[in-house]
Amino acid sequence: MKTRLLATIKKEVLILLRDQIGLSILFIMPMILILVMTLIQDSAFRTLNEKGIPVVFVDNDQDTLGISIYKGLKGYSLCSLTDSIDGKPATAQTAKEAVSKGKFLMGIVIPKGATKAIRTNVSSLVNETFAIEAVPADSMIAKADSVTILLFIDPVVKESFIVTITSNLREFISSVKTQIMYQTFSEEIEEILPSETKAPNNMLAKTQIIKYKEEYGSNLIGEIVPNAVQHNVPAWSIFAMFFIVVPLVGSIMREKKEGSAFRLHTIPSPYLLLNTGKILVYVVVCILQFMLMLSVGLFIIPLFGLPALQLGNTIPGLFTMALATSFAAAGYGLLVGTLAASEQQGAILGSLSILLLSALGGIWVPTYIMPEIMRNLSNLSPLNWALEGFYKLFIRGSGISEILVPSLQLILFFIATLGVSSAIHRWKRQR
Amino acid sequence: MPNGVSLRYRYICTLFIAEMSKNPIITIEGLTKTFRGLDEPAVKGVSLTIHKNEVFGLLGPNGAGKTTIISILCGLFSPSTGKVTVDGFCLEKDLGEVKKIIGVVPQDIALYPTLTARENLEFYGAMYGLAGKELKEKISFWLEKLGLFHATNKRIETFSGGMKRRVNLIASILHQPKILFLDEPTVGVDVQSRTVIIEQLKELNAIGTTIIYTSHHLEEAENFCTTIAIIDYGQILTQGSPEKLIADCPGAKDLEDVFLSLTKRKLRD
Repeated sequence: MKTRLLATIKKEVLILLRDQIGLSILFIMPMILILVMTLIQDSAFRTLNEKGIPVVFVDNDQDTLGISIYKGLKGYSLCSLTDSIDGKPATAQTAKEAVSKGKFLMGIVIPKGATKAIRTNVSSLVNETFAIEAVPADSMIAKADSVTILLFIDPVVKESFIVTITSNLREFISSVKTQIMYQTFSEEIEEILPSETKAPNNMLAKTQIIKYKEEYGSNLIGEIVPNAVQHNVPAWSIFAMFFIVVPLVGSIMREKKEGSAFRLHTIPSPYLLLNTGKILVYVVVCILQFMLMLSVGLFIIPLFGLPALQLGNTIPGLFTMALATSFAAAGYGLLVGTLAASEQQGAILGSLSILLLSALGGIWVPTYIMPEIMRNLSNLSPLNWALEGFYKLFIRGSGISEILVPSLQLILFFIATLGVSSAIHRWKRQR
Repeated sequence: MPNGVSLRYRYICTLFIAEMSKNPIITIEGLTKTFRGLDEPAVKGVSLTIHKNEVFGLLGPNGAGKTTIISILCGLFSPSTGKVTVDGFCLEKDLGEVKKIIGVVPQDIALYPTLTARENLEFYGAMYGLAGKELKEKISFWLEKLGLFHATNKRIETFSGGMKRRVNLIASILHQPKILFLDEPTVGVDVQSRTVIIEQLKELNAIGTTIIYTSHHLEEAENFCTTIAIIDYGQILTQGSPEKLIADCPGAKDLEDVFLSLTKRKLRD
C-alpha cells in the first residue's frame, strides 16, 4: 500500500516537473489573475469615487432648494457635477440633448419656483395648524401645485446608480423642506406668542441629535477597512485553486488516451488508490498556488499603490481553509476526469463548471445582491463555502473555530466526490 | 525466426500438452457481452478452456470480439452473462486475486511518454508490490535482455516504435504473472523487434507462463501458438492446434487459408 502510494506520488511529481510550460502556467497565471482582477476592480471603484459620474445640473429655481441640491451633489463623490455645457449655462433643452448624446450620464432640472412652492405649502400647513376659528375648506389659502424635478437619464446608466442619485435627491429635498418648515414655524410662533415665549434660534440645527457612525463588524486587530485587496485576493485565489480541476482532468484524460489507464485498471489496486497520488500532488500544487497568491497580495499589490493584504488573526485557520479548499478542488477534478469520455470533453466540462460554480458561489458578484433563488442556489456551490470561510478570516477577523463549518463542508464535498467517482468507475466497467 | 529455437520451443510445448489437458487455467462458459446502447452483443455465448502453459491465440477480423474477451478476462469490463474462472478464482467475485496473477500488454503503448524507461518500469513494478533491490535488479535484467539497457534513462517519447513495444512488454512481466494477455503485441514494429519480443514470450512460456495472444500476423500466430481459436461476430468458429486447424480445412496450406475460409473475404468495419 505504502509502496504503491509513494510510487503514484513520485510518478505524478515527475510528470508535473517535466511539463515545464504547464507548470509555469499553473503558478504564473493565478498570480497574474489575482493582480489584474484586484487592480481592475480597485481602479473601477476609484474612478467612480475620484472622478465621479458626469451629471449636468440646471437650476431654474435659483433659491434654497436648487442651491442646496447643487451644493449637496457637488460634495458627493459619486457625481462630477456641472451647471454648464460647452461654456454656456445649461438649460433643460441643452441638458436633455447632452444626455442623449452621451456627454453626461444624467441631467437634473430643478423647476422654477420650486422653493417658493415648498414655502407656500408649509405656510398653508402652519396657518391651518394655528387657525383659532374653523376656516372653511374653500376659503383656505390655496396650496401650491406639486413640484416636479426632471431627471434625464442615459440608458447606459445602471439602475443602482439611478436609485442612489434619486435617494440623495429625496434626502436634499426633505432636508430643505424641513428647514423651511422650522423657519416658518419659528416665525409664526413669534407672531402668535410674542410675550410669553421666544422661539429658539437655529432650531433646525438643534434638532439634529441623531447621528450615525460607520463601524465594521470585524474582529481584526487594528484599523482595517475592507477594500478591493481584502475582497479580491481570497475570492480569486479560490477561483484559481478550483481551476486546478482543468490540469488535473487533463492528466487523467491523458492517461486514458495514452493507454496507461488501461494498464492501471488491470493492476490489483483500487481505483481511489491509483488516484490518491494524483490528488495529493495536486493538493500540494493548490497550496503552493495559494501561498503565491497571498504573496502577490502581500508584496506585489502594494507596489501598485494599493494597500497590502492583511492575513487576519489566524495563520492555522488560513492553512485549514486552504487545505480544505484544495482537497475539494482536487476531488472535483477527479470526479470530472472520471466522468469525461475524452480530453476535450473533460476540459470543457471542467472549465465551464468551475466558471458556473464560481459565478454561483459569489466570486464574480456578491451573493447578497443576487435574486433570492440564486442566493439559495449559491449555498450549494463549494466555492461559496470556501469564500465564506476566507471572508471570515480576511475580512471579519474570525478565529479558527468559526471556519470549522465551511472547512467541514469542503472536506465532506471531497469525500462525496471520491465516492461518486468510484461509483462512476464501477458503473463504466459494467456498461 | 531461427529454426533451432522454433524446434526447441515446439518440443518443450509438446512435453506440456499432456499436463495441460489436466490443468485448465481459464474456463469461460457461455460468455456474452452486450454494451449499453448497442443491440448486437460484442461477444455471444463464448465457451473456452485455456490450459496451463498454453500459448493461446485468439484470432479474428477487426471487430470480431477479441479485445472485448481479453478486456473481460483482465477485469476491465464485466460480462453481461456467463461464468469465467481464472486459476480457480471467479472473475467477478475475486477480481483482486485475478489481477494479482495476470499481466496485460495492451495494444496501445501504455507508458508515460515524459518518464524514462526506468521510471516507467519502477512505477509499474511498484504498483505490483515490487520494491527496492528486487525491483531494480528485475528492471536491469529485462532491459538488458530486450536490448534496451543503453536507453534506461531516456524518455519514452524519444524511443522508436519497436523500443516502446519492448518496454511495454517489460512493464507487464516484471511481476512474473502466471497468465500474460497480449493484445497485438507486435503491431507496427520492425522484424528485429518482433523477433526479440516473440523469442522472449517463448522463454516466458517455457518457464510456466500461460499466454493469451491476439494478432493479425497469422504466420506469427501459426509459429507461436500451441492452440488457436478463430472468432468472428462474437462467436468462436473453430479451435485447436494450428496443425489440426490446417488439416481440418480442405485445401488449406496455412493458417491464413483457414482464416479466410472461415471468416470469408467480406470487409469489416
